[in-house]
Amino acid sequence: MLRRPQRASKLHQRVMNTNSLTQAPWHQTTVEPLEYHRKFLKENCRPDGRELGEFRTTTLNIGSITTADGSALVKLGNTTIICGIKGELAAPPADAPDKGYIVPNVDLPPLCSSRFRPGPPGEQAQAASQFIADVIENSEMLQREDLCIEKGKLSWVLYCDIICLDYDGNILDACIIALLASMKNVQLPEVHVNEQTGLAEVNMKKKRHLNIVKHPVAASFAVFDNSILIVDPTSDEENLSTGFITVVIDEEEKLCTVHKPGGTPLSNEKLQDCINRAITRNKEVCKLLNKVMKSMKAK
Amino acid sequence: MPVDTKRLRGPEESQSPWLFVEQEQQSPPDEREDGRRKGQVDVRPIFARCGLVSQAKGSAYIESGKTKVICSVYGPRETERKDETDMKFGRLVCTFRFAPFSCAKRCGWIQSTQEKDLSMALLGSLHPGLCLHRYPRSQIDVSVLVLENDGSALAHAVTCASLALADAGIEMYDLVLGCSLRQEGSDYLLDPTFAEETQEPATESTENRGGMMVALLPSLNQVSGLLCSGDLEQQPLVEAVAACIEGCQRIYSVAQRCLLTAVKKKNPPPDG
Amino acid sequence: MVCLPLDAGAHKFRHMADRRLREFGCEQNLLSRPDGSASFVQGDTTVVVGIYGPAEVKVSKESYDRATLEVILKPKVGLPGVAERSREQFIRETCEAALLTALHPRTSIVLILQVIHDDGSLLSCCLNSACMAAMDAGLNMRCLFCGVTCAIDLDGNIILDPTAKQEKESRAVLTFAIDSVERQVMMSSTKGAFTTAEFHQSIAICQKAAESIFQFYRDSVGRRYSKS
Repeated sequence: MLRRPQRASKLHQRVMNTNSLTQAPWHQTTVEPLEYHRKFLKENCRPDGRELGEFRTTTLNIGSITTADGSALVKLGNTTIICGIKGELAAPPADAPDKGYIVPNVDLPPLCSSRFRPGPPGEQAQAASQFIADVIENSEMLQREDLCIEKGKLSWVLYCDIICLDYDGNILDACIIALLASMKNVQLPEVHVNEQTGLAEVNMKKKRHLNIVKHPVAASFAVFDNSILIVDPTSDEENLSTGFITVVIDEEEKLCTVHKPGGTPLSNEKLQDCINRAITRNKEVCKLLNKVMKSMKAK
Repeated sequence: MPVDTKRLRGPEESQSPWLFVEQEQQSPPDEREDGRRKGQVDVRPIFARCGLVSQAKGSAYIESGKTKVICSVYGPRETERKDETDMKFGRLVCTFRFAPFSCAKRCGWIQSTQEKDLSMALLGSLHPGLCLHRYPRSQIDVSVLVLENDGSALAHAVTCASLALADAGIEMYDLVLGCSLRQEGSDYLLDPTFAEETQEPATESTENRGGMMVALLPSLNQVSGLLCSGDLEQQPLVEAVAACIEGCQRIYSVAQRCLLTAVKKKNPPPDG
Repeated sequence: MVCLPLDAGAHKFRHMADRRLREFGCEQNLLSRPDGSASFVQGDTTVVVGIYGPAEVKVSKESYDRATLEVILKPKVGLPGVAERSREQFIRETCEAALLTALHPRTSIVLILQVIHDDGSLLSCCLNSACMAAMDAGLNMRCLFCGVTCAIDLDGNIILDPTAKQEKESRAVLTFAIDSVERQVMMSSTKGAFTTAEFHQSIAICQKAAESIFQFYRDSVGRRYSKS
């Protein structure tokens, strides 16, 4: 399930061609990391050989967790995110008797990076959970009415548990892909409410997929030195940057979220650049998603 | 119960759909579902890899049947708790977690007592294998996450954690390998699946029924951890321990090969 | 001391799709214990902020090159949850970009925001009050900032500074923080789906509205220091 993308040789070669900077002594990368990164950015490339607008290799593995109703593992370079969705039954919310629940939570366990401590989720994990919840709500990727089984009596609760296994920056993008892929993978059993007993009857043999109507995809950028925008920052780049922006867009080019929690101010032109990159990113990810889904069906 | 304000909450109460499925009562079959035989040292094939978590000092991932376990090791680093009186030895801290979606029934985010017990068992099993006196005043963190639990989670967690510790370059006396077993009357099931671990017994009697987990230092041939539950007589107990030790030895070669690959990858041979 | 914009009365009667801010006002230095404080009123939305610092910092939170900023947002009722934590992140990162934290390394600055009443545009009100409180505390800043919220209703009209009712009825709600130097977007938080054109239109409207808030900042500071 967890394999490394084999692309290192190509990247390495490119770095070697662009500059001899890769041979920078270790003290430069650890003592003056900002200077180290600046040298690369001056040449319009990054320490790992990417261009400024280039994402890391994205790999997707869908449905590997059989105990979940839907699951996906996403790798964005080193960053690894796993999402598992489990459906449970509950009474619908009192204020919306014809709807179900979607409960996303992001966990950044101490397993994924030394920056996180054990215990309840910190600010970053909580903000990420809220971000995912907002994207689900804003994009309307799934009609919450679809999750209702019997109005006012019974509906589905989708617990979307997202865990970071390896934190190397840009978890939001990876989380959204993992969520979307596992949502597409979810199969819920058929449920009826028995009219006489009022109890639920579950038919595990008959299962159906969710109707995912929109495909929101995120593109994150880091701002370097108050001016340079780089896409898909690694953890090192995140630490050195002065601002972040995440643009979530669906396939109809509607913006679902423009998430910029402070940091360096950006001009309208820069914002438009981000949106344009997010549009192409959406196409890239949807293509990958379709390819993986197709290869799964072929099996 | 205090409310968890640090996570998004769903409805107050929700039930797994499995509760509403009519469970057919059936006696356990004579053969094991995956074709393995009862009473034989028959472990599921293991897939193991080291060094998948880029941020960790060392890490390992194990897949055995459908059971999937990932572990990463951080440290040795400065201990957080300075009140410890004995600073001559390093401190080993183990965290064992189930991912919420890893079991048939969803488990919550807050660490349960079962997870705490398993963390302690993991710590106990790993501790004798480590040269902690080499790391005074420091702390080594081992965190294990079970991504999918299809039985024998603790045994695989022990193996996975010791691989991760070795990958991190922590000095050890030996690897620690884990193997578990389920005793059903006169038969035993080695490396049981989740269904075998939890299945209803065929007979009412509670005699000779239980679970066991053995952690072994394979080249020293010493047992570093033994966890036993249920009701076992002396003879089956001794046989069960022997079977578990045999089971551990079976996975030793896989573990060795996994470490060898990881070392070769980190330090490629000079001629490329 | 209480400051109100000069033409405050004119804002009282607002048309539905009005592109003006609600009546707003601010009181600085209203709390005696904190190092700086302010309350900001936007229509019926009210937030009180207290700032402590630069003060001693916990070792675990210490950073060697700048002050550590902590933001705590207390809701009107109940315990703070995930939504509050997300807002705290927005406010903290905006303040971090505006405050010259590098001047006070190894210290902590704590911002505590108490929501008195929420009638829409809460995040922008929080940002405005935080900026006023930072001014009151005399913290060195790179630039000032202000928060402006706008809502896009079902017909595509853009409503500035919506009330809670208007927010609920609208298709999208966008909040921006605008900086006082370049008038660019420092922070952006959005709810609902919208087109790129609507996004840019909203920014333009909010940037224009920000002018009146910055003027208000200037007037209130001017008035405060001309008296003493």
